[in-house]
Amino acid sequence: MSMIEIENLSAFYGKAQALRNVSLRVEPGETIAIVGANGAGKSTLLDSIMGLVKNTGTIRMEGQDVTGAKPGDMVRRGVGYAPERFNLFPHMTVRDNLLVGAYTAREDIDKNMDAVHRLFPRLAEREGQETSTQSGGERQMVSLGRALMTSPRILLVDEPTIGLAPKVCVEIAEVLRRLSAEMGLTVIVTEQNANFALSLASRLYVLEGGHVTAEGTAVELAKDDQLAKSYFGA
Amino acid sequence: MMQIIIQGMLLSGLYALIAMGFMLIFSIGRTLNLAYGAYIMVGGYIYFWLSQQLGMPKIVGFGGAVAVGALMGLLKHRLIVKPLKGDPVAVEISTLILAVIMQSAMVLAFGDASKILLPLIPGVVTVAGAQVTYNILAATIMSWVIILALYAFVRGTHTGRAMQAVSMDEKGAAISGVDPDRINMITWAISGGLGAAGGVFFASYTQLSPSMWVAPVIISVAIVIVGGIGSIIGTLIVAHIIGFLEITVVAVLAPELRGVFTMVLIIGVLIMRPQGLFGREEH
Ligand SMILES: Nc1ncnc2c1ncn2[C@@H]1O[C@H](COP(=O)(O)OP(=O)(O)O)[C@@H](O)[C@H]1O
Ligand SMILES: [Mg+2]
Repeated sequence: MSMIEIENLSAFYGKAQALRNVSLRVEPGETIAIVGANGAGKSTLLDSIMGLVKNTGTIRMEGQDVTGAKPGDMVRRGVGYAPERFNLFPHMTVRDNLLVGAYTAREDIDKNMDAVHRLFPRLAEREGQETSTQSGGERQMVSLGRALMTSPRILLVDEPTIGLAPKVCVEIAEVLRRLSAEMGLTVIVTEQNANFALSLASRLYVLEGGHVTAEGTAVELAKDDQLAKSYFGA
Repeated sequence: MMQIIIQGMLLSGLYALIAMGFMLIFSIGRTLNLAYGAYIMVGGYIYFWLSQQLGMPKIVGFGGAVAVGALMGLLKHRLIVKPLKGDPVAVEISTLILAVIMQSAMVLAFGDASKILLPLIPGVVTVAGAQVTYNILAATIMSWVIILALYAFVRGTHTGRAMQAVSMDEKGAAISGVDPDRINMITWAISGGLGAAGGVFFASYTQLSPSMWVAPVIISVAIVIVGGIGSIIGTLIVAHIIGFLEITVVAVLAPELRGVFTMVLIIGVLIMRPQGLFGREEH
């Protein structure tokens, strides 16, 4: 049974359509990537899964219909989200930001806090710092950490490396790999850079203008010259 | 001198209690709740009705006032604020209308003559030459207890942290499993309860009348503007600045000037530091 299975998903902002009949699935333990340019609809897709955007179509999680579920329901079902703009609580400390993530997973606080501190030792050192005074890389860590505090089984990660220094990107990629390998998390990651996405994901979906225009493994997609030009910098 | 310090502490404690519920809604619900005065007035009247007209124990009257205030806050969120979501002007106008309606309702129910509220705790004590009623002493102690409890709640509980989170980033709160609607509703209820509690003490400090809601709203607006958004400590400090300012002006200059310096302070702060003395800059 797929972890998440989406059929014919369309999403609208007022009259503007941001997603057109998107269908995709991710299996338990798998990491998939959604690749697309700015404005392709990547964030809208993740927001839709999370129940933040109105949409039509069907979303199933582990076989159950979760179309129209609220964000709180999705969190309780085990979906963690690290959004593009982080959406942290700027005037709260790192520790309090993480604790808000534990709102629905209060029994697991100690265990999850340990795991987050092992993945991001810097957050343990900076636990009393307000996130408004942190660097982009540190905020990304808090954002991922907050998502992990919800005890997720699937993690949605929206453009995790955008605007970050190359060294930090490598660090974040390493953490995402460990989450999958060591903790068995299912991951959906969005990216503009297909090469980075391929270093993490087994399968890729290409999103253009709100539509899935290609899907497959790295080898399959690399055969398409046009795609290779647009997304692999070839 | 001692007179001024004691009276100043007492009045400031009362002001802090009154402003606290208003600040919560301003910081978390992002609403300038001009009908906040209605909780204060209704709190005073419910207390009067239960304890003086029906002769119930004072503590029942106080508890009843707080419960009705909390219920009013909750209903207001459900029936007005939520349906009007995203339109602060409409919310402010309708809350103001609601306050005026509540004023008429109180006139209908209790008549428009002012009433003297019997003190919660009768008696007077003389401290360093200053006459201090037990009533205002109780109000001050009570406001400190409530403020400390509120601080512990907001800082140390999951619901309190969720309240801060919703005020800073609603989407971030939602993806953490917090239901912003539910948190806002809880905030409105707490605010209503705090307002009603403040109202019982305010009415016994001045007197009970259907127009008594105006002054505390002005004081609350002043404290929140000068203190800045989102700071319990800021609210507490500014309540003391304004309380002492008023007492000093009355004692040294003239009672008629009581509110004038408060207004000057508001305008000065708005010009020099729009985010308030203890507020943070919002982006
Ligand atoms: N809140 C919004 N209101 C209106 N239009 C939006 C909103 N968010 C995104 N859009 C539009 O939807 C489309 C997809 O945006 P988005 O999902 O953010 O793409 P991506 O994340 O791939 O850059 C774009 O055309 C964008 O302008
Ligand atoms: Mg995006």
